[in-house]
Amino acid sequence: MTHLAASQRLSAYLDGELADPERQVLDAHLRGCTVCRRDLAELARVKSLLSALPEVEPPPGLLADLREAPARLTSVLDSVMAWLRSAFRRPAVAAAAVMLALLLIVLPIAKGRLDRLQAANVGVDVYVHEQALFSAADPFADPAYLGLLISDANIALVGQRRSPEEDR
Amino acid sequence: MHRRAGWLAAVLLLLVAQPGTAGWRSGAAERPLPDAAVVLRTMLRAPALIDYEGTKVISTVRGRTAETVTMLEAYKRLGKLRLEFLSPESVSGRLVIDDGAASWQYEPGMHLVVHGPSFVSGVGQPERAGAILRGYGVRILGREEVIGRSTMVVGLAAGRAGSHRQLWVDEVTGVPLRTEERDARGEIIYVSYFSRISYSLNLPPALFQFRRPAGARVVEFYLSGDPAGTPAELLRLARSPVIAPATLLGQYRFRDGRIAHHGAFSAAVATYSDGISVLTVFQTPSARMAFPAVGDPVMAGSGPARFLDLGYFRVLLWQRRGVNFAVLGNVPGAILLQAVDELNAAQPR
Repeated sequence: MTHLAASQRLSAYLDGELADPERQVLDAHLRGCTVCRRDLAELARVKSLLSALPEVEPPPGLLADLREAPARLTSVLDSVMAWLRSAFRRPAVAAAAVMLALLLIVLPIAKGRLDRLQAANVGVDVYVHEQALFSAADPFADPAYLGLLISDANIALVGQRRSPEEDR
Repeated sequence: MHRRAGWLAAVLLLLVAQPGTAGWRSGAAERPLPDAAVVLRTMLRAPALIDYEGTKVISTVRGRTAETVTMLEAYKRLGKLRLEFLSPESVSGRLVIDDGAASWQYEPGMHLVVHGPSFVSGVGQPERAGAILRGYGVRILGREEVIGRSTMVVGLAAGRAGSHRQLWVDEVTGVPLRTEERDARGEIIYVSYFSRISYSLNLPPALFQFRRPAGARVVEFYLSGDPAGTPAELLRLARSPVIAPATLLGQYRFRDGRIAHHGAFSAAVATYSDGISVLTVFQTPSARMAFPAVGDPVMAGSGPARFLDLGYFRVLLWQRRGVNFAVLGNVPGAILLQAVDELNAAQPR
């Protein structure tokens, strides 16, 4: 028997739960292993200390309380449901609840649609803004015209689009 | 004696009155035209060498309207710009200052300041002349006077990536004093010119420092989103399938990309460059963005699209496989349509 296997069986050995062949093998190991002998002595001391402790009786109402706990929970749930039913009988509360539910469903959809339209509204201004910035490296680009395009796009992106004035 | 003097005077008058008959009179007009590469190098070097301030007029077709905008423009090397808009009324009073690192816009009617990235390149890059000559049909068309200064007229032919554009480049300073752009029918769609200009060796730096007006609201407009250096990185950043080929139209290579955000708007952005001009492709799932109803209806690929001409560059918008696409570039509309065909043929990843 290995030292590890022996140490795992010490508690069963002490309680007299090992079969004879296994007990004989462990006896042989204990004769040669001071560590296991020390652990066995420690286990025996703890066991004798535990057996010396007095027995404590549970409180008299504990079992009855544990049996009644599910019933109390059901009662609380029933009260909540009764309150909800009475609330939904009032039209204003019912309407508010329906509105809230609708808002929770509709708002993300509406926001998605608004974002999609907003993206289309600013998209071309972003295109022009960025292309004008990229064009700075073009030696034939007129920086004054790039400045006009970028500054117009800036204003549009702030939300104040400038309308070029027709002159022909 | 008097008769001979009168005859000589008559001959001199005739010589002066007939242009081109007196070599000593129009020496400037008969100087040989410089090589296109020389003019381009002078022009590309100018932002690093020349300060100027002047009055600029820009007339352009934007969508269905034509508009003329007048502004005071001051430039200080390297890359500092000040624009004071004079007219029309809708922009009058607007001030834009770019100090080379950031730009500031003050909108007096709204008492609003917009702070954003710089859009001015102040680096002299004469070495790019070779790439321009290879990629664009550049020709020197002649020598003309603009606001009293001798300019070289440079034509950029409508090549695969070029456009119908002419620049009047100051022969001495290299500053373009006039720019014209025409559409495929030859109609002018963009003109920009100085009605006066003064060159300076050193404009005061205070002109290019923005001082926030007291009480003005400040809005920050910086590019958002992590940059992607390759199409694969852009695909990884995007949460939905994206088309991001390594090249477009054969000569535009993927330069960078990112996911742009502005409020409810977001898009995968892929920028392509031929070394000179820039093509940008935006992609947003249709579920997250309605199709913008701007510009004119056109056919792109096999479906409907919208085309918006902003004078300097053009915008083409279309839908494909549940995605809103937009491609922008300083190329003719026909080239943008070719880009649409290429992108439609590519498989999303």
